[in-house]
Amino acid sequence: MMIDKNKGLPEEILNLPESSFEMVQTDEIKDEKFKTKPIGFFKDALLRLQHSKISIISFWIILSIIILALIVPNITGFTYTEQDLAKRNLPPKIPGLENIGIADGSRVLTNRKKDSLSDTNRYPEGSIIEIVREYESKGVAMVDVKVDAYALAGIEDDVYHWFGTDYLGRDLMTRLFKGVRISLIIAFFSVITNVIIGVIYGSICGYYGGKVDMFLTHFAEVLDGMPYIVITILFMILLGSGMLSIILALCITGWIGTARLIRAQFYRFKGREYVLAARTLGVPDVKLIFRHILPNCIGPLITRAMIAIPGAIFSESFLAYIGLGIKPPEPSIGILLSDGQSVLLQYPYQTLFPAILISVLMIAFNLFSNGLRDALDPTRRGEE
Amino acid sequence: MVKYILKRIGAMLLTLFLIMTLSFWIIRLMPMSIFENPATPPDIQKLLMAEMHLDKPLFVQYLYFIKGVVTEAEFGTSVQIRPGMDVFEILASRIPPTVLLNIMSLLISIPLGIVFGTIAALKRNKATDNIISFLIVICISVPSFVFASVLQYVFTFKIPIFPTLYDTQAATFAGTMHSLLLPIIALALGPMATIARYLRGELIETLSSEYLLLARTKGLTRTQATVRHAFRNSLVPIANTIIPLITGIMGGSLVIEKMFAVPGMGGLLIDSIMAGDHFLTVSLLIFYSTISLITILIVDISYGIIDPRIRVGGGK
Amino acid sequence: MAINPNETVLKVEDLRISFKAYGGMVQAVRGVSFDLKRGETVAIVGESGSGKSVSIKAIMGILAPNAVIESGRIEYDGMDLTKVSEEDFHKIRGNRIGLIFQDPLSALNPIMKIGKQITEVLHLSKKISSEEAKHRALELMHAVGIPEAERRFNQYPFQFSGGMRQRIVIAIALAGDPEILICDEPTTALDVTVQAKILELINKIKEERHLSVIFITHDLGVVANMADRVNVMYAGKIVESGTSEEIFFEPAHPYTWALLSSMPDLQTKERLLAIPGTPPNMIYPPAGDAFAARNKYAMKIDFEKEPPSFKLSDTHYASTWLLHPKAPKVDLPDVLRARIERMKGAK
Repeated sequence: MMIDKNKGLPEEILNLPESSFEMVQTDEIKDEKFKTKPIGFFKDALLRLQHSKISIISFWIILSIIILALIVPNITGFTYTEQDLAKRNLPPKIPGLENIGIADGSRVLTNRKKDSLSDTNRYPEGSIIEIVREYESKGVAMVDVKVDAYALAGIEDDVYHWFGTDYLGRDLMTRLFKGVRISLIIAFFSVITNVIIGVIYGSICGYYGGKVDMFLTHFAEVLDGMPYIVITILFMILLGSGMLSIILALCITGWIGTARLIRAQFYRFKGREYVLAARTLGVPDVKLIFRHILPNCIGPLITRAMIAIPGAIFSESFLAYIGLGIKPPEPSIGILLSDGQSVLLQYPYQTLFPAILISVLMIAFNLFSNGLRDALDPTRRGEE
Repeated sequence: MVKYILKRIGAMLLTLFLIMTLSFWIIRLMPMSIFENPATPPDIQKLLMAEMHLDKPLFVQYLYFIKGVVTEAEFGTSVQIRPGMDVFEILASRIPPTVLLNIMSLLISIPLGIVFGTIAALKRNKATDNIISFLIVICISVPSFVFASVLQYVFTFKIPIFPTLYDTQAATFAGTMHSLLLPIIALALGPMATIARYLRGELIETLSSEYLLLARTKGLTRTQATVRHAFRNSLVPIANTIIPLITGIMGGSLVIEKMFAVPGMGGLLIDSIMAGDHFLTVSLLIFYSTISLITILIVDISYGIIDPRIRVGGGK
Repeated sequence: MAINPNETVLKVEDLRISFKAYGGMVQAVRGVSFDLKRGETVAIVGESGSGKSVSIKAIMGILAPNAVIESGRIEYDGMDLTKVSEEDFHKIRGNRIGLIFQDPLSALNPIMKIGKQITEVLHLSKKISSEEAKHRALELMHAVGIPEAERRFNQYPFQFSGGMRQRIVIAIALAGDPEILICDEPTTALDVTVQAKILELINKIKEERHLSVIFITHDLGVVANMADRVNVMYAGKIVESGTSEEIFFEPAHPYTWALLSSMPDLQTKERLLAIPGTPPNMIYPPAGDAFAARNKYAMKIDFEKEPPSFKLSDTHYASTWLLHPKAPKVDLPDVLRARIERMKGAK
């Protein structure tokens, strides 16, 4: 509203009461209080994490798989080492689902002589479900026949191997979840070790700087320049197979990224006034590192560690594939996958379940760490 | 620029030297040495003794080893897989299939990754972006050997349009490629997704950069500004992701070669590890390192050529 | 081009812009009106967050995607710029209205040669041959004071100093031969010594090319040498507008007083007066005068009712209740009065 003072003011403005024009700012003016509630860094991160549906779903998937890995091997009624050559390569059979034709323990046998079907020694009563195809080859009547593999192997009707069995007749569900347990243990321990080494190494580089830093950084760079796979394989050959060897092998170069991150953070924060102030007050080095500098790195550190977990699961499987996995008969996702791969075309289910599980686990970890990274990203504070 | 290249080559040679050193000491210090292994045929054991100068002190043996590798490409002798055969001879025939597989995967993944990443960035937060981003996460998360299993089962068994195994007898290059296509795809999916994700991020950042705003305020259309400034600038840092991708592809190909019976270094490496033929393993690893380090060197140098800040020097 | 000094080239009317944010809509610009006459320099002065840069982005059609123009018009050459489509806007940007950025360090494409960044627009939108474009670019580089233009033409931004980069940014803005030049804090990111040279340059090219200039700054000291008219902005509104003389010698709004008092100058012996408090949260803009909470002279009504814009002269307007006849007579703060006297003396 523009008003020409000289031409007279509109009534409602002219008639404002005198009292409205009292001076009110007699005290010193203070900075205005924020009208929005202040939110702490981690609360803000948590808030944004909760906003991300994908992160929440991923979190629950990871948690469920962990719980399954803890429970399932104990309640299947089988152990992961229990062999029974009579039960070799049985297909999946799941109560409930078997009645609708999925996972009913059946298998199609091809190229069988038709006459042989009546031989009850080879095909016990009730083992033949249906004849899929009849044809003639070199004058002999041949069939493809769908059989109940459980009945064929002479196993009682109430035995269920949900995910089937492997070439030694071991229950695959028990082995799979036991394997998940072992893979996760390897992943968690290698990542935790890497974080610890990385934090210590990076802190020393970053805090002391100068020659120490130069030497240590060059050493890390040289190590990092070597192909990761080569180094890991070399050390696995040296250490021999086994869970501890894998964890150690994954730690040889795994910590370098963390160390680099921590070092960079140190360079960012050690020159800040509050750190200098603490130092002049005589705060000891260790306390300075842990109380004043490291807390700034927690966000990126958590994100890094979360992203490293699926990487470690992958590396474990990879080593299993090239014959450097953990010692048999212990299972791991990688061992099961590579065992299954060798009979992929005959018994695809032996690959299917570990493949689904490793994929779901890796996807969930990746999505969750993406969400975590976005949530902990200080530049995104306050975003929706 | 010359200084930059020399520095890179120096670093590469140093790394190679360290790998050789490490390899030697690991083999010699293994608890169950191949030289005492009763399974090793006595004639080969003798050959090895002579070749490795086992009568000399350890350090001298080491010098002989390094000298052999550097001057004569003399890596040692196979003990288990092809007893008595010179390792380098075994290796030579195994290199071409591996290189073909790796290079084809890289050549497929880079352009496709760029296309998908660009589409996703330009359609940011729309349905197209969400679908691409979802597929990216799947391709990044699922290991290449799982893809390989799925592809092998579906396209060679259920719908048999590809041979299950590598065709060593293929008469034409097209025939070889036909049998190599599934392993190439299995290897390319992950790197493709990585490039797409990285480019999407870079492009979104450059799209909101000041210089893009300047490009628009000086009168360029949105498309012109995007192509000439955002896209071009986002491609430069992609080189950074390509290096880890190369190592990733080479690692993945170790397993994939075995699965598809590609007669490359990967299958041989696995066989040699399983058989405990450590000479062969180590020579393979050294060779493998050389190939991967050379590839990285090439990428590094071309990165220097693309980015004026490195080429001209002085800038950050 | 004949110059008609009273011709209005650009007119902003009751512009309101908000941003979607976490806590709600941030009301960045709340009813801004001003105009730009041919050949003059209009300054918009205010603290960061007062809405000055947002208004400029609206004029250039480069608002962030989460910004919403709620009402208002931007009249230019018979068009309303708030309604021009993206396809048509690129013919206006650069060619009719040029923009100089605040930060020359990030405004130049780091991996494109300087010369190409200047000629690019000539190529693409004016269809000028590359020979001709290069010739024009070298001329421009010379005009903005870049020595050895021929050699510099093939260099990259990181090989230039901050001041040189800003000259390049200016050359780029001039490449399309615009009639309006908008300078968004063009000297903020530069060293003090370089600042004066850049301001001089802007004044020089304005004269040579008969430009109309909108000059955005938070620094009143810069304004004094540049602007014909000044708009003082606070919390998304223009609180006082007038000619430079009026703003500097007869300021009427307590915020302008505060700004003038906080300006460093050589003669002032007293402590510099900072403006107490912080600008209001623009998600919940206060009722009444937005400056009231930080205003030493605030009255009860300042917290209740928004002040109208009182006309002091044909060119001078201020929105403060202090100009109401019933308001107590408030004299200029002593520090400021002394300073104004000095400035008048110097002039």
